[in-house]
Amino acid sequence: MTRGRRAAAWVLVLSGTAACHGEQTILGSESAAPAAIESLWWVSLVGTGLLSLLVMAGLGWAVVRARRAAAMLPDAGSAPEPDRKREDAAILLFGAGLPAVFLLGFLAFSVRTGAEVALPPDDPVLTVEVVGHMFWWEVRYPDQGIVTANEIRIPTGGPVEVHVTSADVIHSFWVPQLSPGKIDMIPGRTNRIWMHAETPGRYRGQCTEFCGLQHALMSLLVIAEPPEDFQAWMDARQAVDARPANAEEERGLGVFMAYGCASCHVIEGVVGPGFQRPAGPELTDMGARLTLGALTLDNDPESLAGWIIDPHRHKPGVRMPSHRMPDEDLSALVTYLARLGRSARPGR
Amino acid sequence: MSEAGAMNDAALHERLSRIWAPPPGMLGFFTAVNHRVVGLRFMVTAFVFFLFAGLLAVAVRLQLTLPLLGVLSPEAYNQAFTMHGSVMMFLFAIPFLEGLAIYFVPLMIGAREMAFPRLNAFGYWIFLFAGLSLFVAWLTGYAPDAGWYNYPPLTSRGFSPGANIDFWVVLITFLEVSALVAAVEIIVTILKHRAPGLTLARLPVFVWAAFITALMIVFAMPAVVLASFMLGLDRIVGTHFFNFAAGGDPLLWQHLFWFFGHPDVYIMLLPGIGAVSMIIPAFARRPLAGYTLVVAGIIIIGLLSFGVWVHHMYTVGLSMVGLNFFAAASMLFAIPSAIHILSWITTLWFGRLEPLRTPMLFSLAFIVLFILGGITGIMIAAVPLNWQVHDTYFIVAHFHYTMVGGVVFPLFAAIYYWFPKVSGRFLDERLGVWHFWLFLVGFNVTFLLMHVTGLEGMPRRVYTYLPGLGWDGLNALSTAGALIMAAGTLVFLVNLFVSWREGRPVGDDAWGAATLEWSMSSPPPNYNFLNIPFTPSPSVAKDPASDARAPDWQRELAEARTGLRENPVTSIVEAKLEGKVELPMPSPWPFWTAMALSLAFLGVIWYPWLMPLGLGLAFVCIVGWHAPPRALDPEASPGNGGPGPDPASRGTAGRDALSASHAGLRSPILWGVIFLVLIELTVLVLFVASMLYLQLGADTWPPAGVGDTQTGLAATGQLLLLASAIPAWLGLRALSMNRTRRYLVGLATGLVLAAGYPALKFVEYGALDFRWDSHAYGSVQWAMSGYSLFHVLVLILAGGVFWVRGLRGHAHAGRVAGAQALMVYWAFAALGSLFFLGVQYPDLLPWR
Repeated sequence: MTRGRRAAAWVLVLSGTAACHGEQTILGSESAAPAAIESLWWVSLVGTGLLSLLVMAGLGWAVVRARRAAAMLPDAGSAPEPDRKREDAAILLFGAGLPAVFLLGFLAFSVRTGAEVALPPDDPVLTVEVVGHMFWWEVRYPDQGIVTANEIRIPTGGPVEVHVTSADVIHSFWVPQLSPGKIDMIPGRTNRIWMHAETPGRYRGQCTEFCGLQHALMSLLVIAEPPEDFQAWMDARQAVDARPANAEEERGLGVFMAYGCASCHVIEGVVGPGFQRPAGPELTDMGARLTLGALTLDNDPESLAGWIIDPHRHKPGVRMPSHRMPDEDLSALVTYLARLGRSARPGR
Repeated sequence: MSEAGAMNDAALHERLSRIWAPPPGMLGFFTAVNHRVVGLRFMVTAFVFFLFAGLLAVAVRLQLTLPLLGVLSPEAYNQAFTMHGSVMMFLFAIPFLEGLAIYFVPLMIGAREMAFPRLNAFGYWIFLFAGLSLFVAWLTGYAPDAGWYNYPPLTSRGFSPGANIDFWVVLITFLEVSALVAAVEIIVTILKHRAPGLTLARLPVFVWAAFITALMIVFAMPAVVLASFMLGLDRIVGTHFFNFAAGGDPLLWQHLFWFFGHPDVYIMLLPGIGAVSMIIPAFARRPLAGYTLVVAGIIIIGLLSFGVWVHHMYTVGLSMVGLNFFAAASMLFAIPSAIHILSWITTLWFGRLEPLRTPMLFSLAFIVLFILGGITGIMIAAVPLNWQVHDTYFIVAHFHYTMVGGVVFPLFAAIYYWFPKVSGRFLDERLGVWHFWLFLVGFNVTFLLMHVTGLEGMPRRVYTYLPGLGWDGLNALSTAGALIMAAGTLVFLVNLFVSWREGRPVGDDAWGAATLEWSMSSPPPNYNFLNIPFTPSPSVAKDPASDARAPDWQRELAEARTGLRENPVTSIVEAKLEGKVELPMPSPWPFWTAMALSLAFLGVIWYPWLMPLGLGLAFVCIVGWHAPPRALDPEASPGNGGPGPDPASRGTAGRDALSASHAGLRSPILWGVIFLVLIELTVLVLFVASMLYLQLGADTWPPAGVGDTQTGLAATGQLLLLASAIPAWLGLRALSMNRTRRYLVGLATGLVLAAGYPALKFVEYGALDFRWDSHAYGSVQWAMSGYSLFHVLVLILAGGVFWVRGLRGHAHAGRVAGAQALMVYWAFAALGSLFFLGVQYPDLLPWR
């Protein structure tokens, strides 16, 4: 078992998949709100750093002083009776006064930053609903009527409101470069956060509340595009025709149905939701996504085939079962899935 | 001097040693109750768990060395980090610190023993059994795997069907029983058994810290007991406390857990602060600077720690105003902490420091690391910054600076400092210095870098990560640091083993310190103090002059004329001598009681009916436990009519100035029961708060479809229960006037009336049309009634035992404290269920 996993891990590393999609760092903000938090961090680092250096220097000097006192009077026994009042005053001054002044300033700065970043400065240009699942993200654009997974495409230039909840356990939504921190996704509740990308690019996010066996590989990609590119993507996405276009794709869909994929996955206009809420990601634009398994693998036909045969090899604990099937079936299925959402966007 | 005065110190030593000797042999191992035996067992066992959890941490670090390693499977990794956290918190830190307090508090306050020796032993057995069970669960692959804070709904039956989470839920509840009894024990010992003249204002800081810590345990632990009890019910009988689909709320868990969890951090931190506050003055050759401020700081931290739990929940979507309030409260901690640090610096500043020995090295490192953990604490108290770094490695780094820097380092300091007292030998200094530097360097390599790992975006609790995110090198270095820490720990182990056998021998006083624990031989004699010290000087000095004019009571206690184990009793604030108590002798019953409770708690994972069976057996054991005491060695009792527990015969002897019977608030037993009731009361209040929380969050409460409740039956039962307290109380008054017959009649009447309560409850709930598993409303109703019912049943059983004992002639005015304790419990059962009734049936409230 362990040996198999280790082998799988090395396969991943050596095959060069799982390449980096975007950054995920607090110290590289790409938007005003996380940048404000980043300055809060630097200010607090310098402020508390100086204060604690002061205290440590005091401690060091006290040790040196006390050693000298002992060296000068080696046999004097106990130190002379201390001046209690003076000592208490010193302790209160440096122990209560100094930190109190610093804390008041820091608290004010923190409250101000909080008020600044908690809500978007302008009306949102887009609303996205994100639903956490073990261990992937359902992404819905309620006003546009489309659903996708693990990748959120947003326009640059304006705030995007994000409504989050969960279909199972508690997850947490976090795209550190674009959002003022993270927000928990709690079943039965809807929480809100916002994102804002000033420059186009790919930004990484990850689930930050332990959500079970495969919490580690539950990642998220935000793709920010200029508004016109975003609109073009949206138009194309809305126009996706997922119906099989040729015999090979027909066969692929047949395999899809035969292996019961439709009980968890939706393909718009082809197979409707089997349950009220899909147990697996919607596949209508499957071929146009950049990664598989919530950023675990790059989305190419080879990886897709490997994923279908044995997803656990790449992402142990994932809810999708393994599917052993003849090569021709697999190839037809991959052809069909890889085309989904892609034909509408030539050049990708 | 009387004829007994003819006994010289050697003879007294001989006699006291015999009375206080832990029982020998294999059987004796299970019956020993001496506080130093129990305290040392706590520490050794907890230290073994520390080593185990440390090895798990090494495994975790190895898995994370490089991206996508396969050292541990995801299952094994999740179990490893869950066990690491749970074991370090519940099986190492708290039990070790309690063990340290159990061992040293009596030595520091001039007592021969803790207030309730058998309870002490019982607490240890519970701890051991719970710890071993968790260990066995891990070995068999059923270790908990959802993190040490165990959030539902991930931990509900639906998402965690295995027994893994059952073990967490059951064993944590069970373990807290141990923590709670030890806390009550420590509180009552400090309140009632300080040497005469050792006023509260003179207590050594470690004793203050142990006292405040124990009080915090009393008010914090009930939250986690209640929460895990609710989760256990959700998992085992299908209630819905945390199921949002049926009126529950997963956030309720987080509120309850962190209401315990945050005080818990300071429960672990304060004893270290106390220890360092004794070590530094000892080496600086002067009293602690700002003693009053330090003690005030400890008390303030204790109070504040109950008002900051929400800072663990900044990201759950609460209102900004509320969050800023908790941010301000959290930042306030900096002030008492800074006062502590400044007091240590001032002590050194005006002191004379000998060359740095290991206890000082660890203390100084503790101060530095505590500062570093403190400043990151201030940072993450700031709401927006927390939103970014929450649940990343920045947090992991922060709390290891507080938990390792703030708990483990001072603990090592304490071990190096007090090991000579426990073993009679110094720990080796050269190995100690190696241990110190390896551990310090390893610690900082591991955890200083983790701040950066977190800022670079790595979430915590991930079993692996993908390459190329900038975390690879940092993680590799952190693993290297962990290995260096492990090497340091290994050196420490070698030091312990070598020094225990061959270390440099030590006299009474290892360091020239000023506190009482250094006034007797090392290791101390079984009875601690031949002459109980009195009126110590303000610095709590072991003043040899205090022996100059031995008062009669001191002589009496030294001679132990009853042949029983005796402890002086003093008043709460001023420590005025009030008399003495005769303590119970070694007994196997604590062991058996713990066994029976283990059956109840562990059995319920597989067979719910084992719970009542185990509780029933435990009751039988507790009755055996409380059999009246017998002298160990009656013949050895000199010049006294007889050793028996009967005070009447002793009164005639005339020479026994010290009364062994205490009533009311003078009695340690009553204080013990008062604190047990306070624990129960905390559970009760938190339970009501939980219900209101669910009610306020619900659309309709009660939900549609709940039919008529049996209000009349409930009210009648409650009235019977309230009424039952009246004859019981009259009986108690009769007993204090030695009218035994009246006492028995009153008690019996009260019990019969009280029995009406469970009878009517059964009728009431038999007729209800909603169940505990239909909606959270039903869960609350059934659980509240179950809680009341349980207490009334215990009351009736306990009252029955008192009645039978009374019939056999064991009831008289000299033993009124036990009956008073029963009465306190009676009042709690009656008023507690009344409180619940008002919540359960709001229609009954007069103002509705």
